[in-house]
Amino acid sequence: MKLNSHNWTLNLAAALALVWAAQGADTVRYTAQPQGSKVTMDGTSTIHDWTVEGKIIGGFFEAAAAWETDKSLKTAMTPPPKAEVTIPIRTLKSGKERMDEIMQEAMKAKENPLIRFKLAEMKIKGDVPASGTPVKFDTKGELTVSGVTKPCDMEVTMDRLEDGKLKFSATKELKMTDFGIAPPNPNIGGVGIKTGDEIIIKFEWVVAAKKS
Amino acid sequence: MTTMNMDQSELNRRDFLAGGSFATVMMLMGGIPLRAAEETKPDTAGGTNYKGEATPVNVGIIGCGLWAREIIRTLALIPHGPVVALADPYPAYLRRAGDLAPNAQRYKTHTELLADPKVQAVIIATPTHQHKDLVIEALKAGKHVYCEAPLAHTVEDARAIARAAKEHPKLNFQAGLQARADLQIANLHKWRIQPAVWGKPLTARQQWNKKQSWRLASPNPEREAEINWRLDKAVSTGLAGEIGVHQLDVTNWFFGSLPTAITGFGSVLQWKDGREVPDTVRVVCEYPGGLTGIFESTIANSFEGELAIFLGSDGAIMLRERKAWLFKEADAPVLGWEVYSKREEFYRESGLTMGAGGTKQTTHTEDRFAPADPKSPLQYSLDAFLINSHNLEAGVKDFTEIYGDDESQLLEYLKDQEKNRQPAAGWKEGLAATVTAIKANQAIVTGRRVELSPSDFEA
Repeated sequence: MKLNSHNWTLNLAAALALVWAAQGADTVRYTAQPQGSKVTMDGTSTIHDWTVEGKIIGGFFEAAAAWETDKSLKTAMTPPPKAEVTIPIRTLKSGKERMDEIMQEAMKAKENPLIRFKLAEMKIKGDVPASGTPVKFDTKGELTVSGVTKPCDMEVTMDRLEDGKLKFSATKELKMTDFGIAPPNPNIGGVGIKTGDEIIIKFEWVVAAKKS
Repeated sequence: MTTMNMDQSELNRRDFLAGGSFATVMMLMGGIPLRAAEETKPDTAGGTNYKGEATPVNVGIIGCGLWAREIIRTLALIPHGPVVALADPYPAYLRRAGDLAPNAQRYKTHTELLADPKVQAVIIATPTHQHKDLVIEALKAGKHVYCEAPLAHTVEDARAIARAAKEHPKLNFQAGLQARADLQIANLHKWRIQPAVWGKPLTARQQWNKKQSWRLASPNPEREAEINWRLDKAVSTGLAGEIGVHQLDVTNWFFGSLPTAITGFGSVLQWKDGREVPDTVRVVCEYPGGLTGIFESTIANSFEGELAIFLGSDGAIMLRERKAWLFKEADAPVLGWEVYSKREEFYRESGLTMGAGGTKQTTHTEDRFAPADPKSPLQYSLDAFLINSHNLEAGVKDFTEIYGDDESQLLEYLKDQEKNRQPAAGWKEGLAATVTAIKANQAIVTGRRVELSPSDFEA
């Protein structure tokens, strides 16, 4: 029987698809952990700099099962990792209630209570240390704030913690106006205050492999 | 359940921080006011229009006497504290309270109110000796609780309340010690009551004087006995408890310690109508390190109203109707902020004028005859209760939605979040102040020195 090159190609594709499917099924899902997670937002104003802090970061990170065991990550980048991260806006606290209320209103927290990030692409940046930690990644994704979604590129660092937990951390500069948020411009104590448009978000997000 | 009541002309210690006429007189005499800068809401006339509104918490009022009605009036000033339910078995009280909160559901019993799912938080404004069961039932019903001070008329009841609050960390419990939530007093405590300002603490003296009978008129003998519970020595904590609990608490707070012994004196000198609860009292509290605090009160004379004086080795601070004056000793070190202050004469003393917590920009332009903070201590206190109740509820919800219902992790998170609470008295402060007040009354009634150990203040 003469080998039909077209059929051969189809069969190969089907076989690869099966392998991919098998690999896809062999994934590990990490879920958010309450201990060790932290997010801060730093901003400026004409009076003084300000910071809000939160301790609740939800979501998941999902990757090939080899992510747990292959410290080099050579066999762990396929299938591509997935991640979704959520931060309830009202858990971000400045220690000043009125400022928190204004921030929540500015971010339309009632209608859009969560800041969301959805990972689209994740590439290792530089060399992976023999210990497997820390590892830097270039990531691409979508960030949704106040109901407005924008592309978001970030350099993310992953640390392997004890008990197999992972800590992802990053720093990202953003502009309020990019998400349709007018920087608050209150008059407090007779002093007009202008809040800067630029803010810096920093997060440390701890996840642990979900036990079945 | 019955209601707490007071004659309008005889408002008790709870109006201790209201008004400002004496403060104005002191200012005219050349005092040294230390006033907290007011926290003003943002002006919406700027480039943005954010109002910064808190999320509403639906309130139920248990006990609809005169003080409860003052609470309802104050809640009317707070957009995020709608009164949705009232409970009182006495129809006239329920009707009067209902007139102030026309949209509130009216109940004859607190049980019905606690079963109302609309009610998120309750304010307990009944006679002191009825607090315990109401607090415990309210917490069991899943309601946040604001309990008037003193928490109870016995140490056992106060401990039971504190334990119940402690056992419900997912619910907000606040003791009605208004000074703890008052921005003016809290700022004074934070920024001015410290060794750098008044040196080594020496002694404190608190006073509350107001000529009034404390006896309320009533339509029948049974009702009279009920509403005059303050004159019933079996359940009344007397002037030291019903009035002094707030001032004794401020002394505990400013000294940063709790009394180790209390001596008291008291007599019925003016209102000899058969009562056994003294109308004139004096209490001396001993604190660690040899500090002493005096509380004296009479309802037989109004001279000098109420005030607090804290003496330190470098200066004296007089607190009066939410304003404070600092009198520095001649050999006191330079504080550094004098440059921002006015120097004024007060009788034969000279001192500094500065708003505690005031900014450099506002201090120089401060109007010394400006009225006192228009926001009352009660409003601060209720505002803090509502905000803290909502934030606690929201924190529990956000945590469990994301991390599940791991109780120990949740409690750890809530403990961490306590740093974001609006200043207010919790069960610990409420218990400490109540035990101090009850023991002070015990010292008065028995004429004996009462010794206290730290365990007496534990739940």
